Amino acid sequence: MAIRIGDIEFGLNSFGDIATNDGRVMSDAESLRLLVDEAQLAESVGLDVFSIGEHYREGMVDSATPVILAAAAQATSTIRLGTSVTVLSTQDPVRLYQQFATVDGLSGGRAHLVLGRASAIESFGLFGYDIAEYEQIFEEKLGLFLRLMNEDRVTWTGQYRAPLENVRLHPRMPQGGIPTWIGIGGSPDSVVRAARNGLPLMMAIIGGRPDRFAGHAELYLRALSRFGQPELPIGQHSLGFIADTDEEAKNIHWKHWQPVVTAMSEERGFYAPTIDRYNTEVDTGALYVGSPETVSRKIAGIVRANHLSRFDLKYDVLHLPREAREHSIRLFGERVAPRVRELLDEDPGEWHLTGRTPAEIVKGGKAAHA
Amino acid sequence: MPETNEKKETMNDFTDLEFGIDTFGDLPRDDQGAVVSYAAAIRATVAEAVLADEVGIDAVAIGEHHRPEFAISSPETVLAGIATSTERIRLGSGVTVLSSDDPVRVFQRFATVDALSNGRAEIILGRGSFTESFPLFGYDLSDYELLFDEKIDLFHALLDEKPVTWEGTTRAALHEADVFPKTDSGRLRTWVGVGGSPQSVLRTAHYGFELMLAIIGGAPARFAPYVDLYRRATEQLGTTAHPVGMHSPGFIAETDEEAMEAFYPGYKVVRDTIGALRGWPPLTRSDFEADVEGGSLYIGSPETVARKMAAAIRTLDVGRFDLIYSAGGAMSASARLRAVELYGTKVIPMVRELLAEAPAQSMTGAGSSHE
Repeated sequence: MAIRIGDIEFGLNSFGDIATNDGRVMSDAESLRLLVDEAQLAESVGLDVFSIGEHYREGMVDSATPVILAAAAQATSTIRLGTSVTVLSTQDPVRLYQQFATVDGLSGGRAHLVLGRASAIESFGLFGYDIAEYEQIFEEKLGLFLRLMNEDRVTWTGQYRAPLENVRLHPRMPQGGIPTWIGIGGSPDSVVRAARNGLPLMMAIIGGRPDRFAGHAELYLRALSRFGQPELPIGQHSLGFIADTDEEAKNIHWKHWQPVVTAMSEERGFYAPTIDRYNTEVDTGALYVGSPETVSRKIAGIVRANHLSRFDLKYDVLHLPREAREHSIRLFGERVAPRVRELLDEDPGEWHLTGRTPAEIVKGGKAAHA
Repeated sequence: MPETNEKKETMNDFTDLEFGIDTFGDLPRDDQGAVVSYAAAIRATVAEAVLADEVGIDAVAIGEHHRPEFAISSPETVLAGIATSTERIRLGSGVTVLSSDDPVRVFQRFATVDALSNGRAEIILGRGSFTESFPLFGYDLSDYELLFDEKIDLFHALLDEKPVTWEGTTRAALHEADVFPKTDSGRLRTWVGVGGSPQSVLRTAHYGFELMLAIIGGAPARFAPYVDLYRRATEQLGTTAHPVGMHSPGFIAETDEEAMEAFYPGYKVVRDTIGALRGWPPLTRSDFEADVEGGSLYIGSPETVARKMAAAIRTLDVGRFDLIYSAGGAMSASARLRAVELYGTKVIPMVRELLAEAPAQSMTGAGSSHE
């Protein structure tokens, strides 16, 4: 189904955070099964995409992302299944192709990828890569992965994996591969790389004023134009939580967010969160926490400012109760998504920046080149 | 779980016998006779596993291959899909080519399948009977032994689900690496698939893993020494002698004739393609028929296959029999589904009956007693 940029899409992202149930911490296995239920719920409330991250630490169960997506594929029939993000730097592009061709086959063409360099670094040590080389590794592996998707047989030599000699992988992806986005955390180089390769852009905005990424979006659009690429979608991934009222949403979310960010601040050496800073983050920063109306207004605003055609909400937080997760997903699909569409209809603002005719794209952001 | 079965070896009454179906994800033909796409072949495999679950087959195992004949190079991904759509069937690989994979990734993928299936995953580790995966993933075939030795050692360490410190030459070292997700049971059921190397049997016994014998040609009786070796080795090493499994190709239809005709043409294509790489002469119809008669092809009506299976199970005193039902290459998808159904509804109950009739009777020369 071809859509035009501007048909805003909504995705749900999980990092496989372990949930609680009636005050009890769920096991890794229970949390994995919960993800499949949540993918099903996401579909039933009308969301467009369900994506799972890739992490290698305690409290997160998403180390084998395509395996989880395959289970979700059998539990759903229309929702697209993606990643948020796939740590391409420490994956083998050959295995990645095989795994996602399998998910795509199982799901009848619903698989897609967001490729990134990752913000967590555990995978480098675990799989024997040097973090100092992460830029070159990503560049090389992206090149290989795109060739595997676009070419029938590939002969390739590089530095970070064994050479390939006239290799044709199985199972096959559809001609041209599956929709593949580039996830960025703020590096302009990554923005330009996405544009140069003609790949849609997913901006992970997890703190600070999200509209500061408008510059990245504009850079991306200019770069696409310069590289002679068709206009492509821009998405944003941010953290959030929706409950019936602002107060309830903030209370529940802060309670679970605060210990996670405190631990992370010790590990990465930034300031521990305070309630004041948290409130600022919710009011004007990158946390999409509140009632459906509050979150809808905030999303509509950033869609206009950052020229988005997709907004992904990362809905899980370590030990967030499963009922709260479920309710948040329901509100996101049933209340927020329609309300954002309504607000954008009323006032599209500066949403369409370039004035160029947007390219026809297939659902998922792949250029159709019709 | 079979940990307590070690004392049963001389008086197996076959009441705990388990039956599996195995597939490599061969591309079948649709109702119009066209070979289906890879994606459709993967979905056909899922449909077959779902049916297997419905008709009470105990396990499904999916192989990993990197060749054009087979749709499955990522078995755990397919198993996860099957997990969602089934209730009780156990989900295994047949085999996971550990030598050319990373044991950490393999553990993560299987622990995930185990979670998604409520504890139904079992892994069958092997060196693989094909060699494509070695150059594809940058391994040297001359390191064949070393790769498997080191990787099975690391995988064994990971199975404890505690932080692992490990050093070797075939992957990066690990220092107190804690690998997630953890399983609910605390341990993944692990087999080693062995094609005929005594060394592999000893290794399996050493780690206390379960032994799955891949018997794809010749009379099953010639594998009896491996079963014996496994039991003696576990006794000497003080590890558990689990019931041994065997996996062999076959196909079931309403009549012997129908099964042979459905299976042979596609099987010959696959066998000759692989044979050309391994220096085998092309398959002749009479070789094929001889293997059906006295070798390791379990092809025919439910009764023919059941008799042959019962004889082999008795001869080798195994606790598990897996039928590779997809080895007929580009055969009809609906015939393949029907074979799975007949295996579950007819063959398995018949085998159980046959074995219950005369549990103490020893039979040798599997396949020679029928018709």
